Amino acid sequence: MAGWAEKILDIDLNTKTYKTYPLDMEMARSFIGGRGLGARLLWELVGPEVDPLSPENVLIFANGPLTATGYQTSNRFSVSTKSPLTGTILDANSGGFWGMQFKKAGYDVMIVRGRSEKPVWIEIKPGEVSFHDADDLWGMRVRAVTAKLGQNNNRRNVLCIGPAGENLSRIAAIMNDGERSLARGGPGAVMGSKNLKAIVVEGKDRPEIVDQERFKFLLYETRKLLAASPLTSQALPEFGTVVMMNIVNNVGALPTRNHQQSQFEGAEAISGETLTEKYLVKNASCWACPIGCTRVSRTEKVEGEGPEFETTWAFGAACGIDDLEAIIEANALCNDLGIDTISAGSTIACAMELSERGYIDSDLCFGRADLLARSVEDMAYRRDFGADMADGSLRMATKYGHPELSMSAKGMEMPAYDPRGMQGQGLLYATSNRGACHMRGNMLGLEVLGLPKLIDRFQVQGKSSFVILHQNSSASIDSLVLCKFTNMGVADEYFARMLSAVTGIQYATGDMIRVGERVWNLERLYNLREGFTRADDTLPPRLLNEALTEGPSQGWVVQLEPMLKEYYRGRGWDENGVPRPQKLAELELANL
Amino acid sequence: MIDQRIYEMFREIGRDLFTSDMISSHGGNLSIRLGDRVIIKRRGAMLGNLKIHDLVDTRLDKNDSGVALASTELLVHRTIYLNTPALAVVHCHPRTAIAFSLSRDELVPIDNEASYLLKKVPVVTEEFASGTPEMANKVANALKNYKIIMLRGHGSFATGQTLDEAFHWSSTLEESCQIELATKIINEPFIEYRKMSESYNKF
Repeated sequence: MAGWAEKILDIDLNTKTYKTYPLDMEMARSFIGGRGLGARLLWELVGPEVDPLSPENVLIFANGPLTATGYQTSNRFSVSTKSPLTGTILDANSGGFWGMQFKKAGYDVMIVRGRSEKPVWIEIKPGEVSFHDADDLWGMRVRAVTAKLGQNNNRRNVLCIGPAGENLSRIAAIMNDGERSLARGGPGAVMGSKNLKAIVVEGKDRPEIVDQERFKFLLYETRKLLAASPLTSQALPEFGTVVMMNIVNNVGALPTRNHQQSQFEGAEAISGETLTEKYLVKNASCWACPIGCTRVSRTEKVEGEGPEFETTWAFGAACGIDDLEAIIEANALCNDLGIDTISAGSTIACAMELSERGYIDSDLCFGRADLLARSVEDMAYRRDFGADMADGSLRMATKYGHPELSMSAKGMEMPAYDPRGMQGQGLLYATSNRGACHMRGNMLGLEVLGLPKLIDRFQVQGKSSFVILHQNSSASIDSLVLCKFTNMGVADEYFARMLSAVTGIQYATGDMIRVGERVWNLERLYNLREGFTRADDTLPPRLLNEALTEGPSQGWVVQLEPMLKEYYRGRGWDENGVPRPQKLAELELANL
Repeated sequence: MIDQRIYEMFREIGRDLFTSDMISSHGGNLSIRLGDRVIIKRRGAMLGNLKIHDLVDTRLDKNDSGVALASTELLVHRTIYLNTPALAVVHCHPRTAIAFSLSRDELVPIDNEASYLLKKVPVVTEEFASGTPEMANKVANALKNYKIIMLRGHGSFATGQTLDEAFHWSSTLEESCQIELATKIINEPFIEYRKMSESYNKF
């Protein structure tokens, strides 16, 4: 079958052995790849009895049928596992080159089970898998490991963890190609718990494409659409994702000082415009990406990729810091230590508020840019108070008696949008299956950017329909696996047509959205099996009860209850948020 | 109770459809999907002059008392929502597009804007072109693969996430057809300016 390699690589670290077997193609048609296939396999492999940091948890790396075809942004891959941060189902995906290379090595999926007795790294070449002693790599930082194992962008690609993963920080990332990350939810800790330091891949063959003529046409049309969109052809290439800083701040939705305000007086100083003017060295791109949103930034101390918008917000506005140099350095440190920048920054912000309110004895306080780097290092190495911060804001704030100060949903720190100023985003955070997340159907497009058309960001009635559609769409895109920025210039209908051209199987737009709905419901079932309930579909009390006192979103809290009721009905779930049998039958999930 | 913001959205798009000659005084209809419900124009109401009581809130999957008031096209709107990811439907009577639909099985734009946005608009035929299950199924099936389609001799059905978006496709189609009509009047050789345009009819 074109598109898919039709092969799973299954690795057992207990015995340092591997096997390969065919991918179930019925499953592939229904769940496509990436996040979808990951969820389906995880449902079978990891039950509620499994501790996320035990050998029984697995890491499932998966690409999609478009990966490595050369379609725009067809470089991404995902990892699925049970999250050590949230206890929910988790997938995180990343760009760069590794995913493309893994597909060219001849696999759709790699399952990593068990735990190696000693540190190990894995080398994958077409038809060949080998295990290597990683004693000399253990303790090394990401850049050093990546270089030592021979990273070469188009030929040999390195995925690894840094010290944060080794030290089982529940917000540790898996890093690939040096500075790209599978960051959210702590997959780096799962890899660390397996004593697995790195996975290196070398590939060979691009996947087969059934309808070359149609493929070329859609490739050409997609290029035109991306070029025509000011966001993908101008804003992102010129300013990177940080271009959102001033936009989100201007509408009063930029969470500031641990969500105590929603506008930051220092936004301009940490904006995309400032980053470009003062610190940009050059742009960079993932494989087969014409957008090129990646920044390479330089300060006196560091040079590296980033920072992204979310990172700049997390170490910036969330912490009341307007020192962009310090933010760039904190970002570089996170990448080198292998830690999620959103959770790291948000956890520091939470600690700053705990400290300012006298709930902990610490020198942390809002605006202390000089403490960012130390805090990140302390987290990664679990030093001093860093040992508390290493497990994320909710565990830390709970330990000190104030869980309400953790700006998280299901234990995952919220990204850079205050949902009091974007009601749909609030519903999105509350219902996201991996915890608060802007990559699970971001409402920024509809509520702020006007993509595809602007809707009223304070509207409550009917908002759930948009959230459901975008959640399903994002699950579909994550299953292909493509970059969400492509979707800012190119509609879902193109992805369906491209999948049809590559595989020869006809998918309509609605079929793709249905795949996303299937994935979303399966993830929901997984979380219900883990013991999550309606009570977990919520937000921090601050967002539900404390109205913003100034700015364009003044007077607003999140009107969650009416939206949530409407959301459950719209999803075909009962009043407790459990999918009804009819819905499961409709989605061919009734047998689970 | 229908939110004031939703009413204003209907009123504005309805007025724009009328003032841009896309409907007659009582023609066309609009709807949006709200989860398991549909809000649709009341039967006989004038889109160009909608009042809040002209909007009917009814179930998506089965009848309730709302059907007694709703547009005669409720069935096709429901069928579209049940078969596509649409959250909004605009049905109107764009005159030039209707004229072309009488002689073509698909409308392939020649102007830049519609080429870029639509690529191709299929034309479907149904004799009983109003409110029947046959018509509803044909229209919904065609909308699985296209965001706007023509019902021969009747009008267009466009889908989107918002009414605004579905209106965009509708007016783009009519503008494109007017441009093509103008080229027929000018009657000079067409100079192709679009790379790979030969593939549009396969879209």
